[in-house]
Amino acid sequence: MPIIAGAPRVPEGLFNRVFQMMEMIERVPDDFSDEEVRGIIALMPSDVADTLEGFFARRVRTASVAYLKMIARWMRDAKEAKASGKKVILVPFNFVPELLHAFENAVPLTSEVLTSLGAGATQGKGHRYWDYAMGLGIPDHLCSASTIELGSMLTEDDFEADAIISCTAGACDANSKIHEFVANYLGIPQFILEKPVDDTERGIEQYRKNFYSMVQSLEDFVGERIDEGRLRDVVEKCNRAAELHYQLWELKKNSPSPVPNLFSFFIYGCRFTMWGKQEAIDCLEIMVAESRKRLAAGDYPAAAEIARCAWLYVGYYIDYNGLFNWMEEQGYTYLFDVLDLFFPEPIPTGSKQEMLDGICEAARTFPMTRQMGADSMSVAWIDDAIHMAREMGADCGIYCGHHACKQTWSVISIVQKELMERAGAPTLCLQGDAWLSGMTPMSALQEDIDQFVKNVVVKKRAPRSVRSKKNSR
Amino acid sequence: MMEEVARLSETIENDSVKEWKAGGGKVVGYACVCTPVEILDAAGILPYRIRALGNPRTDIADSHLARFNCSFCRSCLQLGLEGAFDFMDGLIETNGCDHLRGMFENWQYVKPSPFFYYVKVPHQTTPDAMEYFEEEIRLFRGAIEQEYGTKITDESLRDAIRRQEAIRERLRKVYDMRKADAPAFTGAEALSLFLLASAVPPDRFCEMADAAIAERKDNKVTGYRARLMLGGAASDEPELIKAIEDVGGLIVTDALCYGARAFWSPIDLDADPVKAMADVYLRDLLCPRMYDDYPRRRDFVLNAVAEARVDGVVLTHNKFCDVHGVDNVQLRLDLEKRDIPVLQLEKVYGSKADVGRIRTRVQAFLERIGGKA
Repeated sequence: MPIIAGAPRVPEGLFNRVFQMMEMIERVPDDFSDEEVRGIIALMPSDVADTLEGFFARRVRTASVAYLKMIARWMRDAKEAKASGKKVILVPFNFVPELLHAFENAVPLTSEVLTSLGAGATQGKGHRYWDYAMGLGIPDHLCSASTIELGSMLTEDDFEADAIISCTAGACDANSKIHEFVANYLGIPQFILEKPVDDTERGIEQYRKNFYSMVQSLEDFVGERIDEGRLRDVVEKCNRAAELHYQLWELKKNSPSPVPNLFSFFIYGCRFTMWGKQEAIDCLEIMVAESRKRLAAGDYPAAAEIARCAWLYVGYYIDYNGLFNWMEEQGYTYLFDVLDLFFPEPIPTGSKQEMLDGICEAARTFPMTRQMGADSMSVAWIDDAIHMAREMGADCGIYCGHHACKQTWSVISIVQKELMERAGAPTLCLQGDAWLSGMTPMSALQEDIDQFVKNVVVKKRAPRSVRSKKNSR
Repeated sequence: MMEEVARLSETIENDSVKEWKAGGGKVVGYACVCTPVEILDAAGILPYRIRALGNPRTDIADSHLARFNCSFCRSCLQLGLEGAFDFMDGLIETNGCDHLRGMFENWQYVKPSPFFYYVKVPHQTTPDAMEYFEEEIRLFRGAIEQEYGTKITDESLRDAIRRQEAIRERLRKVYDMRKADAPAFTGAEALSLFLLASAVPPDRFCEMADAAIAERKDNKVTGYRARLMLGGAASDEPELIKAIEDVGGLIVTDALCYGARAFWSPIDLDADPVKAMADVYLRDLLCPRMYDDYPRRRDFVLNAVAEARVDGVVLTHNKFCDVHGVDNVQLRLDLEKRDIPVLQLEKVYGSKADVGRIRTRVQAFLERIGGKA
């Protein structure tokens, strides 16, 4: 109840609170002045202001506004879908949203994206929803990426989805269990898409069976068969988005990288929400254009690019300014993290079967599914990390050490060793929670990164340059 | 006999294993309850379930796994890397949980086993998943035949199924004898028998179990404060159960991975052997690693609570165990709805320091549920 009679009710729940902010973002002009930015930031609580300051830094502002407007559209779609009786399906980040975009009467809502927005841009950074889940007895070693948003749903005072898709079976126990719990607790259906830990032909065929079985169940639940024409429109947009994605990859190969660090987050934000929709294409096109402009002008926020860093797992989403922008200002490029590693293939648009097969393969090779859901977690992860480190000319790896990720924690020692031996890249192992600001302060993480680059990465480079001088004589 | 059972089950490489090895027998280790051990048995191999028996040391394991991994898996890895399981001729991995997968990957990376095989177990029981698992069992059978140069016929497989079912029957009998007002076995004794069942040849176990059952036929455990059920994560710690029983909480039944969940479902002796194994190891599996059948696990606990007439349920999970950590919450909510008292405990495997805390929590629980000495 409002404290003052007649005052509008402050929304409760992570979705509702983030959406309130997005409604404001929808109204801002695509390009607005520094003065206007300062005005907006001054009105915001400190937690929100920090994030907006990062997003609205001059060098990323145009892309940030495009990204946030895309997210606003995505959330509005969910609100409107709910109001009109369509199905809102909560999905994890490693699900292909384009499959749901192909339905007339269903929309995807990605829990980790909502948590990332809440952890970065709501007062209190989403802690209250984590605490609610803890109050029910959920263990504190579960993944905050899903538990913060799902904790908010558990309060039953937030926007609620009609069903959950769980596609982490095989790749992540923590997420699979919280999906199961929430579905049982709220009494909503759960559709499971399991990835067999088997990358032989038999395992791939099994995944196909699981995928098509899930599609059938979704069609029954939504009350609609996927229309081929609508599917084609979605797939064509996926293909265009994939082209833009690879253009950004190519741009990142330049040194200094003309692609701002924050774009890594924006790219997979597009992938996890509006892939297959025009809004994702618009956002990616702006990122490509902005990066090209920077390349042409030779812009880079620091005097030199000192370290090209491959984030082997995820980043930190508790302080976008403090991680992405801060790194760039030190001359530390954030080349990619594991969520960028989705390697989209062009999908043939000839028949409905071909298109669904293409989406199925995209789902099977999605970030995290492809590594942690593989026969061997370490081998698949190492293959991707080494390939990308070489492609991008990475000097080092950084592992964020997200507490809940037992799979990556259990094999990081192997990955660290192999990356050093096979790609010559040392790895920094941090410890922190990627979505809970109360675990490790950003200042401590910054200090660790800084010391690592200065004492390990830069020193490792020095003897190499001495060697190359000797060789050239 | 129970003294002999306790003595043998307290040692990793027990006398029976030594005799088996001395006679030229092969031993293959496995960790997870989803492993179709009948395949090994049919090939004349002794299936041996990996255990840590409360080992608190994890220093070597911690340089490979992380402190964010389950302490039971770290304890097992420690023993593996120290050489405690060097008597094993092979190792079978299953994707029981994320920690277990990490344990096996590090074990193989640091100290490769002479033979290593990975049985992939689905997390669902759909018809497609069952079919996949049946094929997985056939592939496992082929791999064992090839590695050990033996032929596993349907007949030898049926014999092995009968031998393994005979083990399960004995264990079910022991559990049945704990339902009485004055049970014939304590919880710690039942765990010793359980541990022995997967560490000695089947015939040897059946002989010993029969002797123990005969010896304890008229035994009456009395003087306890409350009848408890113990549920939760992988725990082969007799010390933990002793700590609970020492303060008066007699464990009269359980829903443990190293316990009832491993042998409760009878196998169909008349069915096709591969299908029968797929049914018992996947369809009937009572493990929170399965994501589509929580109601079956809940009903199993509720039935056990009723049959053993327990006064309260203690649900434990090893720190960082996600599957049990979450399942225990669901179970607690469902049990409490039915007015069944629950103590939910997070613990560190093998930690002597933790045992003191657990005793205190159990004492408080016993007082809460009215269990007075």
